[in-house]
Amino acid sequence: MRADNEAMPRDLTQEIHNLIERGRDRQLRLAVTGLSRAGKTAFLTSLVNQLRHAGIDARLDLLKPAREGRLLGAQRMSQPDLGIPRFPYDEALASLAGEPPRWPEPTRGISELRLKLRFKTRRARGLLGDTANLTLDLIDYPGEWLLDLPLLAHDFLGWSEAQLAAMGPERQRFAEPWRRAVAAHRPDEVVDETRLAELAGRYADNLRQAREAGFSHLQPGRFLLPGELEGAPVLQFFPLPGIAEADRRQLEALPAESLYKTLARRFRHYQQHVVKPFYREHFRRFDRQIVLVDVLGALNAGPERFEDLASALSTLMQSFDYGKRSLLNRLFAPRIDRLAIAATKADHVTPDQHANLVALLESLLAEPLKDLRYADVPVRAFSLAAIRATENRQVESDGQRQPALRGHGLDDAPLLLYPGDVPARLPDAGFWQRQGFTFTAFRPPPADGGALPHIRMDAALDWLLGDKLR
Amino acid sequence: MSDPRPGRRFDEPTATSDEPTGDATPLRGAHAYLPEQPSTPAAEEEMPSPALDAALAPPRKRRWGLLVLLSTSLGLGTLEAGQTLYHATLGGDWLAGAWSALGLLAIGLGGKALLGELWRLRKLRRHARLRERLDDTWPASGEGTQESVEPLALAEELRAQMGLSRTHPHWQSFIAAQQPHHSAAETRELLAWHLLRPRDQAARRLVTRMSGETAVMVAVSPLTLVDMALMAWRNIAMLDRIAALYGLQLGYASRLRLFREVLRNMAFAGASEMVTDAGMDLLSMNLAAKLSSRAGQGLGAGLLTARLGLRAIATTRPIAFAADERPRLSDLRREVWQQLRRLDDSAQSGREPPSR
Repeated sequence: MRADNEAMPRDLTQEIHNLIERGRDRQLRLAVTGLSRAGKTAFLTSLVNQLRHAGIDARLDLLKPAREGRLLGAQRMSQPDLGIPRFPYDEALASLAGEPPRWPEPTRGISELRLKLRFKTRRARGLLGDTANLTLDLIDYPGEWLLDLPLLAHDFLGWSEAQLAAMGPERQRFAEPWRRAVAAHRPDEVVDETRLAELAGRYADNLRQAREAGFSHLQPGRFLLPGELEGAPVLQFFPLPGIAEADRRQLEALPAESLYKTLARRFRHYQQHVVKPFYREHFRRFDRQIVLVDVLGALNAGPERFEDLASALSTLMQSFDYGKRSLLNRLFAPRIDRLAIAATKADHVTPDQHANLVALLESLLAEPLKDLRYADVPVRAFSLAAIRATENRQVESDGQRQPALRGHGLDDAPLLLYPGDVPARLPDAGFWQRQGFTFTAFRPPPADGGALPHIRMDAALDWLLGDKLR
Repeated sequence: MSDPRPGRRFDEPTATSDEPTGDATPLRGAHAYLPEQPSTPAAEEEMPSPALDAALAPPRKRRWGLLVLLSTSLGLGTLEAGQTLYHATLGGDWLAGAWSALGLLAIGLGGKALLGELWRLRKLRRHARLRERLDDTWPASGEGTQESVEPLALAEELRAQMGLSRTHPHWQSFIAAQQPHHSAAETRELLAWHLLRPRDQAARRLVTRMSGETAVMVAVSPLTLVDMALMAWRNIAMLDRIAALYGLQLGYASRLRLFREVLRNMAFAGASEMVTDAGMDLLSMNLAAKLSSRAGQGLGAGLLTARLGLRAIATTRPIAFAADERPRLSDLRREVWQQLRRLDDSAQSGREPPSR
C-alpha cells in the first residue's frame, strides 16, 4: 500500500525546496488528530497562539528553547497544499475574544497551517549566524476518517457482516428505523436511485445519532463528515442485513443492477477513491503526531461508550506508520518518529487528579501502547488543557481544605465546584449504576489580549518540537 | 557403578507412623474465611536494593572509642579544673586558680569547636539525605507516577537547605514558573533550571579559573614540594567554595569527609568516562610537553584540579545532573590548555605572564 512517491501534483520548485528543507532537518510535519470534540481546534489555536507569543508573554517554562530564551517567535506562512483549507486561526481567536467568549467552531475536515519558527541555535553555526528557522506544518484532520482504514481489509460482504455483528444493544436502537426500511428489499431486487439515497440517508442518520449519543467507532467515517462529497452516490451505500459468507456464490451471480451488486460497487469505489487517496496524500507524510482524547467526556458518557472509544482509538493508532528517522527516509518516506497522546480538558479537574487522568488515558490505550513499545516508538502521555478555562482554588468545607475549580459554565453562570475524582482505571459496572461521572463543561476565559492560558502545552510542545529547536 | 534402585511399595500405615522424616507435617486443609474478615496484605519481600547499596558503600565506622575518650577527658578535665579552681579560691592560691581558669576556658573552646564540627557534619549528612530523597521521589522522566511527597514541600526544604530567602530572585522566578498542576518531575526540572543553573554556572566558572591557575602555578613553581602544597591548598579552597555555592558550610571534619567522598567518586564512579578522559588528557599533556616539560606538568595538575572540581559539583549538587547537562571535562580542557599556551607565548616573547 506504500505509494509515497505519488505525492500530490505540486509545483516542482516547491517540492524541491521542501526536499532540501527536510534534508536539513528544518521542516517538520506535525499531525493533530482526535475524534470529534476531542479539542483539536482549541489545541491548534492555542499552539499557534503560544508560539506567536513565545518570548513575550507566553508562559512556556517546560519548553526548553523558550525557557532558555532562544525561541524568537513564529509567523504564519502561506501553505504548500493549495487544495486544503487553511486552519481558521483568526476566526477561532475571534470567537474566544467574544463577549461572552465561546469555544471556537469545530473544524469539519482536514485543514492545514504552516508556521515558520525562528530560534537561536544553541551553538553558533559559523557563517550561518546563530538564528535558524524551522518550518512547521500543522495538519488537523478528523480521527473519524482514520477509522475507515480497516475498511480496506474487507470486501462488501465481509464488511456488512462485521458491521451488523458489532452493533451493541444501544447501537441497535438507533439503527432500528433503517433496519425496518431495508428489510423490505431483497439483495437481488433492482432498487432505484431515490430509494437507495433514502436508505443511505437513514443509515447516515443512525450513525449521526450514535455519534450524538457519544459513540465513536462508526463506519464509514465520511458519512459523518462528508466534506465535499455531500450527496454524491459514492456515499450512498450501507451494509446489507441478512446475507452471510455462505451465500457468496449466489450473490456473486446476481445481475449488475441488483441491490447487492450496486452497493458492492459503491463500496469498492469508496475504498478506492475516498479512503485510499486520503491515506496516500495526507497520511503517510507525517513526522510527529499527537492524538487528543477527551477522556472526561467518555467517562461522562458511560461504560459502553468508553469501550467504544478504546476500540476506536486502537484502530486509529494502527493506521500510523512509525519508525526511526534517518536521512533517507526523512527525504522519501517520512514516518512518525515521536508520538504524544494527550488527555485534553485537564482544566476541568483539579490538579491533584492529573496523575489519575494520565493513568486512565494509558489504560484506555493499553493495547496500542504495547504495539508502540514493541515498535520502539517513543510515546509520552500528557494531561493538558490547550486553553485553560478554570482557576484552581481551595475551599474550606467541614473543617477541611479541599481543592476546587472556579470558572464559568457554558451558560455563562459562575461556578465554583469540585468536579470529582478521576479513576486511575475504568471502574466496574456497579459504580456506573451507583454514581457515574458528571464532569461539568466550562466556557473559555475572557481574552485579555495576551497569550492564552494553558496547562502543559509547553511540555507537549517540548516533546513534539523541542529536539528540532537546538 | 550401582544399579538403579528398584521400585518399592510401602504400606500406608507403616510409612506414615514409622518414619517421621523432615516433611512429616500434615497438609493443611482448605479454609474459607468470610469476605468481611479483616486481612492485611501479605508481607512483601524486603527490597534487595538498599542492602546492595549498603554493601557497595564504604564500610561505616562509628568511632565510638574516640568519642568516648574525647568526651570523658573533656568531662574529667572540666571536673578537675573546677575542683582546682574551687580549692585555689579557698586556699588563696591565685596562680593555680588562674591556670585552672585558663584550662576551663581551653576546654570550653575545644568543646565548642567539637560541637561546631559535629553540627556541620550533621548538616552535610542532612544534605546528602535530602539529595537522596530528591532523587528517589522525583523520577527524572515520565509523569503519572504516584508521588507521596508534595513537590512544593520538597522544593521548600531545598530552599531552606541552600539558605535562600523567600525573596531571593531565583526562588521568586521558580515560584512564578511553578504551577499547581506540575507533576513532581516537572517541578524538579524547573527547580534545577531556576535555582541550580545559576549556581552550576558559577561553579563551572570557578573550576575553570582554579584549574587554569593551578596549571600555571605548577608550571612556574620551582620545587616539587611547593607544587604539592599548592595543589592541596588550592583544591581544598575550591572544594570549600563549591560547597558554599550549593549552601553547605564546611568545617574541618565535614570538609575531610566531603573530600574523601569526592576522591572516592573519582576513583570508582564512571570508569569508562575516566578512560576516555584520561586518553585525551595524556594526548594533551604530550602536546603540552612539546612546549616544555613544565607546561606538561602544569597541564596535568590543572586537569586533575578540573576533574576534582567537576566531581565536587556532582557530589554536592542537590539534584543529580541529567545526562545532557552534566559539565564535561573536555569543555574545560581547552580552556586550561589555552591558559598554558598564553603563558608559554608570553614567556617566549619575554614578557611577564598575564596575571589572570
